[in-house]
Amino acid sequence: MAVATDQVTLQVDGVSVTVPKGTLILDAAKKLGIDIPIFCSHPKMEPVAVCRMCLIEVEKMPKLQPACAIPVAEGMVVRTLTDKVKQYQQGVLEFLLINHPLDCPICDKGGECPLQDQTFQYGPGASRYDFQKAHFDKAVPLSDKIVLDRERCILCWRCTRFTEEISGERELALIKRGVHTIIGTFNDEPAQSVYQGNWTEICPVGALTSRQYRFISRPWDLDRTPSVCPGCAMGCNIQIDSRHNKIGRFQSRENLEVDDGWLCDQGRYSFPYFQRDQEFGSPSIRRDGQLAAVSYPEAVAEAAARLQRAGSSAAGWASPGATNEELFLFQRLFRETLKSPHLDHRQQGIHETDPEDIGLPIADIERCDHVVVLGGQEVIDAAPVLHLRLHKSQRHGVAVHRVDEVKAGLAAVPAEATVVGVLATAARRADAITLQNQLVSKVKGRVRRLIVVRGPNGRGAKDLGILPHLGPGYAVLNGRAGRPRAEWPKAGIRALYIYDASPLQEFGATEAELDWLRSLDTVIVQRFKPSVLDEYAHVILPGRAFPEKDGTVTSMEGRVQRIANGIDAAHVWDDWRILQAVANAMGAGLPYRTSESIFADLAKAVPAYAAAALAQGRVLWGER
Amino acid sequence: MAEKKILTKDFGAPGLAHLAGYEQTGGYQAYQKALKELQPDALVEMVKKSGLRGRGGAGFGTGQKWSFLPKGVYPRYLVINADESEPGCFKDRYLLEASPHQVVEGLLIAAFAIGCNLAFIYIRGEYLPQHEALEWALAEARQAGYIGKNVLGSGFDVDVILHRGAGAYICGEETALLTSLEGYRGEPRLKPPFPAIKGLYGKPTVVNNVETVATLPHIVSNGPDWFATIGTETGKGTRLWCMSGHVNRPGNYEMEMGAPIRELIYDLGGGVWKNRKLKAFQPGGASMMVLLPQHLDVGLDFDAIQKAGSLAGAGAMVVMDETTCMVDMCRRYVEFFHHESCGKCTPCREGTFWMTNVLTRIEEGEGKAGDADLLLEMGNNIDGRSFCPLGDASTWFPRSCIKYFRDEFEQHVTEHACPFRKERVMVA
Repeated sequence: MAVATDQVTLQVDGVSVTVPKGTLILDAAKKLGIDIPIFCSHPKMEPVAVCRMCLIEVEKMPKLQPACAIPVAEGMVVRTLTDKVKQYQQGVLEFLLINHPLDCPICDKGGECPLQDQTFQYGPGASRYDFQKAHFDKAVPLSDKIVLDRERCILCWRCTRFTEEISGERELALIKRGVHTIIGTFNDEPAQSVYQGNWTEICPVGALTSRQYRFISRPWDLDRTPSVCPGCAMGCNIQIDSRHNKIGRFQSRENLEVDDGWLCDQGRYSFPYFQRDQEFGSPSIRRDGQLAAVSYPEAVAEAAARLQRAGSSAAGWASPGATNEELFLFQRLFRETLKSPHLDHRQQGIHETDPEDIGLPIADIERCDHVVVLGGQEVIDAAPVLHLRLHKSQRHGVAVHRVDEVKAGLAAVPAEATVVGVLATAARRADAITLQNQLVSKVKGRVRRLIVVRGPNGRGAKDLGILPHLGPGYAVLNGRAGRPRAEWPKAGIRALYIYDASPLQEFGATEAELDWLRSLDTVIVQRFKPSVLDEYAHVILPGRAFPEKDGTVTSMEGRVQRIANGIDAAHVWDDWRILQAVANAMGAGLPYRTSESIFADLAKAVPAYAAAALAQGRVLWGER
Repeated sequence: MAEKKILTKDFGAPGLAHLAGYEQTGGYQAYQKALKELQPDALVEMVKKSGLRGRGGAGFGTGQKWSFLPKGVYPRYLVINADESEPGCFKDRYLLEASPHQVVEGLLIAAFAIGCNLAFIYIRGEYLPQHEALEWALAEARQAGYIGKNVLGSGFDVDVILHRGAGAYICGEETALLTSLEGYRGEPRLKPPFPAIKGLYGKPTVVNNVETVATLPHIVSNGPDWFATIGTETGKGTRLWCMSGHVNRPGNYEMEMGAPIRELIYDLGGGVWKNRKLKAFQPGGASMMVLLPQHLDVGLDFDAIQKAGSLAGAGAMVVMDETTCMVDMCRRYVEFFHHESCGKCTPCREGTFWMTNVLTRIEEGEGKAGDADLLLEMGNNIDGRSFCPLGDASTWFPRSCIKYFRDEFEQHVTEHACPFRKERVMVA
């Protein structure tokens, strides 16, 4: 097939550009660095051409044409800078503003508002509109997360299209007509979607705002730090926006391979859990039944002394919300210093793992022809943004089967399927493998699986050997395997070190385990915020929250990504530093000065991570 | 001069609204002829040859529209646009009331011609008696075997679904009509793709006006050559003109294409009422540009009216006498468009709102110097920039009024009152 037929050459403002057939004029211009103003157009949604901002001249077409909706044609001559276009741009902005309240000084969006920016760039200096504006309800609660200002809304349809095209929930709709049109939910019932935060990001004005972020900051006062969402194992890229060293919000940071630019509300609005809204106390030691504040060195010495007494009967639990670097040191502390094999990051379940669990990268879901979601909603609940990828795939023709049973999954996929994906949570990993094996014998194509693990670094915890039976890089421990977390109350454990790194993935002691905790000689709790475990602790080592750390985490698909400290907590020791100090107090002699230096050693132990370091944490585990 | 009656020739015949009466006038003969003697392709060619242009407003060649359907793509749908909502238009209503079977027969011929097995009629929600008449006619046609499986042994299957609109002017725009028919908000769709390629439920669709299909039986019966002898070079056949306003005998008149406007207003309509002088008239409906007495000799035909600076639209003729305030006319019309704007696109949604405000202000005597120019500039930013013709059309009448009656606008402003109101509005 001749390649030439798939390409189209056109001229935009006198410059030639060649783009694939079907490209929109807007995108062809963008390729040349020519900015055509838009409101309704969104790269992830079908063009609707309703705002009429992007109208430009196309030779041989009498009317101005919407650049966002017209595909290029061979020999097309596009002009975006003519007087006709400029005059019209002023006109349409004047129209958009006649019923817009222009309350920019008190609007959350002011400073990062496309309407404001484009009015400055393309709009008229003043309005000739001298009538009463049409009035609408302000501060309408769409849900407990979102507040809608109907006066600011310019009816671009992005939010309604998001609920239709991106999430498929069709929760927002246009109500009434003409200038009286408003956005709302059916019967004004609270919106239920778990993707509502995205509405605020795609809204080109300050109509849809996050309740949590209302009146918190002006955009230009925010410090922005790229990081990864601490919510689940999906690994969505975020930006930590903070002001005065407090988190204002989490914003999406588009990674087409992972999140496709979206976040779920569970992750986006999780930041209050990580907010250092007060001081959480200094290190402390229990003396005569009472916790007493001490310095870090004192607490570290006490912890080390107690651990040393327990030796190989000490057990260590680290949260899958900790970084790879911390987890690596944690397992060195236990395996090398204490010679104890009792390590775990899991709660009750005992889930095996192997590298096949990341056989299907998230973005490859779109390239499957059949995807079986074993467990249906339970998988989505574990990694909500996955639903958006599945919905997108479905729109593009991928058959997505949400099933509860292996049998149903097997029946759903026809024998002629060529690329099949299986998704399941870690709790149903065994079923997923059964289904995968059965599918392999049924279909002619390839079958791959992706296991949704728990916690932003649940995959890293497995890779680095925070498991009783496998060392870093899934090294088999010949005869030296420890006992899993669920068995510890009956395993003769004397000392317990709980590294409760994240309020979202806690140790989670059961009612029955509390007596056991109380009976232990030593309980060491390293955590960010005061927790229920403090009551049982002999030593408390306050650490940092996820947004206060530097390091890497590994998402459920094996993607090693960097997190950075968006919040300065210099007065609190880094968690890796605490772990190193405890180990060194027992003579371990660990030499690390930064988390980067830990990563270098970590990559030696888990060679797959070496590639991640080279690619700045953007490659998948195991080189694909 | 008299009317040239083709569609309305048997109107008044006893029982015409019912099958028996309609068949007595030769009804359904054309349909039978088409089924028995003509192939669908031959029918399309026949309609092309007749020169029939759509009567809904745009005046697009009917046969040409049919031939845009992609070959071999089925199912394809025929949708009859009976959502007659243009202020000043009441011809479809008349046709549906007086002779619903004529419309049904035309529909069936069109369906056969384009290979459609399921046709829809989208009728304006307010047209209740007309809906009833159609419902009755469809039931009779079904009973007579004109609608159903293997019609009259021809192998042609056809069914018709009658659907009532819910009261939005925008649903007369063909893509909004399709959207509404599918059960969504009545809003126009992006074109291309045109309905012929991707219409109702994403399938190839032809949307035809009531009057257009009502003409088809006559073309089939009498042949395209006969039809082509009627009218002008580019406008064939007759049209129903809905005359209203300050005229002695308002009503529907079927006129040969190209007959002078003067005949319609004076010979048939009996001239301007109350012995007053003609100030202006507006062909086509609320959307169209105003014309003046100097245009009385313009022919009633698409191209002649366009040449005179207006559009024939859906065949309305609104007559305005010398006491008419053009500002008030503009205000009333634009208010209508503002009310009916669906709100999808910015220029129409905001522009009709603002224009209404400005026109109201002028009419109430609170206008400002420069308001007329402001309206023109707004018009510029709406016309050709809106998503669909509703926005465009909202500007045509006021802009043409400013062109011909600018003095009247200025007078409102300088005198702080409407010169045509008996009781002048005084401004403090």
